[in-house]
Amino acid sequence: MKTLILLIGTFLATMPFIWMASASVKTFKEVVSSQRLLPAVWTLANYRDILERVGFLQAFFNSALIAVPATIAVVLGSAAVGYVFAKYHFWGKEVLFRLLLSTLMVPFTVVVIPLFLTIRDLGLINKLGGVLVTSLCSTFGIFLMRQSIETVPNDYLDAARVDGASEGWIFRQVILPLARSSASALAVFTFLGNWDNYMWPSILLKSQGQQTLPVVIAGMQSLFVERYHLWAAGSMLTVIPVMLLFTLAQKQFISGLSMSGLKG
Amino acid sequence: MKTLRRPQFRFGLLVLVPILVWYLWFCFRPVFLGLQMAVIDYKLLDPSNSPFVGLQHFNMIFTQYELFWTAAKNTLTYAALMNLGMVPIALIFAYCLAHVSRGRVVYQWALFLPVVVSMAAVALLFRFLMDPGVGLFNHVLRAVGLPPSKWLTGSSSAMYSIVLVALWKELGGTIVLLTAGLLGIPVGIYDAAKVEGANAWQVFWRMTFPLLGHTLKLVAILVTIGSLQVYTSVVILTSGGPARTTYMISQFIVEEAFTHFRFGLASSAACVLFLVILVVTLVQLQLSKVRWEY
Repeated sequence: MKTLILLIGTFLATMPFIWMASASVKTFKEVVSSQRLLPAVWTLANYRDILERVGFLQAFFNSALIAVPATIAVVLGSAAVGYVFAKYHFWGKEVLFRLLLSTLMVPFTVVVIPLFLTIRDLGLINKLGGVLVTSLCSTFGIFLMRQSIETVPNDYLDAARVDGASEGWIFRQVILPLARSSASALAVFTFLGNWDNYMWPSILLKSQGQQTLPVVIAGMQSLFVERYHLWAAGSMLTVIPVMLLFTLAQKQFISGLSMSGLKG
Repeated sequence: MKTLRRPQFRFGLLVLVPILVWYLWFCFRPVFLGLQMAVIDYKLLDPSNSPFVGLQHFNMIFTQYELFWTAAKNTLTYAALMNLGMVPIALIFAYCLAHVSRGRVVYQWALFLPVVVSMAAVALLFRFLMDPGVGLFNHVLRAVGLPPSKWLTGSSSAMYSIVLVALWKELGGTIVLLTAGLLGIPVGIYDAAKVEGANAWQVFWRMTFPLLGHTLKLVAILVTIGSLQVYTSVVILTSGGPARTTYMISQFIVEEAFTHFRFGLASSAACVLFLVILVVTLVQLQLSKVRWEY
């Protein structure tokens, strides 16, 4: 019974993707006329159209230019701040930490207008940098890394300090390796969050050539009205890299997700 | 308490100063500006000369803007439907997932696949599947002898269609939280129930369900907070249509601000949304203080 329910769930969760994969190698005529899963005529023309006509590679590259630096910055930044909050004692530490955590209560919709004006003042409208600069820190990341680094025994740090190690060395050689599992969960989580983000890039990036993958993909609905074979090919190209990453890092992602219940 | 020695002090400053500058500039200042913009008549080209107008914008959206009420009503309906659909379905899957002996990783993989892909691609995919003419959903309905639906293009079905897409996309996240909650219940109490001769149904309703109560409340609140901010799916699936039946508060804010440049109105609507979400969040914080005793 339990297995049956799970098999039905598995079917329902994957079927739309299978249908999309099938439509992406069909001709337009077949997509709108046939309901068979396997195409009568296999074609890769849809993929060629997408790559040539939509500026797909540019969008892919743009998305990577935001998601990769943001992930590196968030993981290293959160680990460093997490280390300071976990292991240092200073005046006002807990108040400061609570102040940072309070930003989790602010929904993005609420700050989108002032944030847009801030980006305008920095001259970053329509530039990838405008999206990147707002993604450089993560409150959830700081919270997660502090929790994780608090479990590192103080003796390790004291031993290293007695031997004359600098704080930077301790951070790189002791803290980072020991907080590896949380850091990789955070990395996968941050990368996918940035890669899939639509709202902010769609508001900020208006000119072609500057847009990220989700924005370009969403634009296909007005660019190719009801040309479902092209939509399917474009969606496939967007979804496949993410699926591969998820398959390789399933454990990290799910642990990140179950910890995200703590934010809110 | 150990005090900071020189190297720690330097490292701490090196780390904290840039982070605090970032928070000041991209978090705290925008929140302050957002509140301020709701009570001034913001002049885009000459911000320093924006006159103070008090609660005029709030008065306008509450009394003159029917569109605001439409958006508020739709958003609340959406949040309610999401809770009604998400919690029971996720609970069924989480229960099966927690108690299945083989293949858990594979089922997990499949159920979470929709969570990781971008909403933009998912929305396009479902516009294709829900096409009234050539979409798979209506083919299936016709095949089993049911009347086809207009899905996203019908004013009575559009809201349910959007909820369906969101449920499919976000179910995995809720399942993770509930599975973690279920696996956190000590096995010993189940053994005790078995000794007493309780059947599986009794065990679920009398023991699992109450013990999971705290996690369920948390899930309901997370679903509510997320649903109140819904934007991407709706904008791509229906753009708020047909006839504004799926027009949500986030779309109201974004369109008022970036299409019509009415920053004050948009900011006041954002403040209302903030207040509602703040209340829900405070309820959540209150709840998460309660530690459940087994």
